[in-house]
Amino acid sequence: MTYRIGSAQGFYGDDVMKALPMIIGGHVDAVCFEALSELTLAILQKDKLANPKRGYTFDLRVIAQKILPEAFKRKIPLITNGGGLNPQAAAEMVRETAAGMGLNGLKIAAVSGDDVLARLPELQAAGEDLAHIETGERLADSPNQNLVTANVYLGAAPLVEALQNGADIVITGRVADPCLYLAPLVAFYGWAWDDWDKLAAGIVCGHLLECTGQVVGGNSLALVNRTNAAELPYLGYPITHVEADGSFILTKTPDTPGCVTLETVKEQLLYEVHDPASYITPDVMANFTTLRLEQTGENQVRVSGVTGRPRPDKLKLNAGRLEGFMRELIFTVGWPEAWKKVEQMKVMLGEILSRLPGIERVEYSYLGLNSLYGSVAALPDDPLEIIVRVMFTAQDQDTLKNAVRQIMTTGLSGPAGMSVSGTTVGAEPRYVIGLWPTLVGRDSVQPVVEYFDV
Amino acid sequence: MVKRLYDLAYGRAGDKGNIANISVIARSPEAYKEIKAKLTAERVKAHLGDLVKGRVVRYELDNIEALNFVCYEALDGGATRSLRIDPLGKSLAGALLYMEWE
Repeated sequence: MTYRIGSAQGFYGDDVMKALPMIIGGHVDAVCFEALSELTLAILQKDKLANPKRGYTFDLRVIAQKILPEAFKRKIPLITNGGGLNPQAAAEMVRETAAGMGLNGLKIAAVSGDDVLARLPELQAAGEDLAHIETGERLADSPNQNLVTANVYLGAAPLVEALQNGADIVITGRVADPCLYLAPLVAFYGWAWDDWDKLAAGIVCGHLLECTGQVVGGNSLALVNRTNAAELPYLGYPITHVEADGSFILTKTPDTPGCVTLETVKEQLLYEVHDPASYITPDVMANFTTLRLEQTGENQVRVSGVTGRPRPDKLKLNAGRLEGFMRELIFTVGWPEAWKKVEQMKVMLGEILSRLPGIERVEYSYLGLNSLYGSVAALPDDPLEIIVRVMFTAQDQDTLKNAVRQIMTTGLSGPAGMSVSGTTVGAEPRYVIGLWPTLVGRDSVQPVVEYFDV
Repeated sequence: MVKRLYDLAYGRAGDKGNIANISVIARSPEAYKEIKAKLTAERVKAHLGDLVKGRVVRYELDNIEALNFVCYEALDGGATRSLRIDPLGKSLAGALLYMEWE
């Protein structure tokens, strides 16, 4: 007996329709959708400030309209953290959509409690110093108190509760990515919350699934000489067949492009991992250094031997602070004397930017020469063309707009042959959000599960 | 042709806040033995130069013949505040694999 989990979303904007062939083909028992990167919540906060009924990912509308009817028909639960900053509003939207389609008897669960933005003063008053994980600085001591998001990474327990209470779709806010995938396994197999090896196996299973295309041939350096690029938009997303002891086979949606090999699994196994012997999640510390990988067939890799240790006492909290705005301009400079002219241009821009008091950071890079590799790249002596990217920041957008206006007054006065990319001149400033990763006591956070019936 | 780390290994970079990790996955058992012996955290830190402002920590995975390098202060503040063209640091794996190999 195995339990089969499909993964159809790895980020906000992924192709969630990849869930349909899994569901219609009868290849899965549950499908998970992971939508939240560190950046996503800040984007959703902008939506929610503009409209209090928003703050969830728009992909959820596609899931509700196109995927939920097929999944509900077959009693395949859907699990997503795409509720973002407003799981209740997302659940309400799904309820209305489902009612309009006549999905009578559908049960929706919304999991919240992760959003502690409004509770930060209360938490600090209760003794949580919310010190930055890296620097140790206390949040209260930091001069920038312009907080826009603060979300705790929840574990799988409230999702398991929702599934065991018969939810057909579970919509959450911030839940640690792999815990989304752990939840249906715990709900199905009834693993104990201190059965660390099995929980850790479920976490590895979730970690391998959570980036969809990245484990079936996408973003694969190992496969660069074997990739059929025309197939990349159609990669069949991954599925695991999990046994009761936690070992599993990773495969993909049958009869679709892509591949699952030892290489694709190794690449994804270490993606966004720090200490592989202590992969920290809210539910268990997973050890990746004891596991075994085995190619058991075409597009089938078996994963076994994962071990785990007790879960950490504290939960991770990531806060986002608005730090200001950034602006980009791209100039091109050609041969002859390209480097000399670039240096003159930088002096000229420096003169303009330094007389504007609000300008903070200014960074230059040369696209195609060192913008990716910095000092690793050796610069050519006498290039035919140099593309200069200038980034600068300020607290307010007007300072940036004013800077661009003043820079553009040199259009006929700059170094010979200097040209500016028109699309960058016309672009809008972008937000600069600084992240504040910290820890909070487990008891300070109470997940809430609410149900919405159709 | 100059021999590079890429001839012995492939890898992928990932981001968490201002921390990047770079996996270096050996192409053969012999290659793993060689990179495990020679590819120290100090050497990685020196090679990546101004891309990584903080420390580099190395982890070993004998079971899959791979190393994992965790690079602190490596993403100009992280995806949400970086001014780099590659704010997620996806190209950092390539930057490391470009290392010349004796």
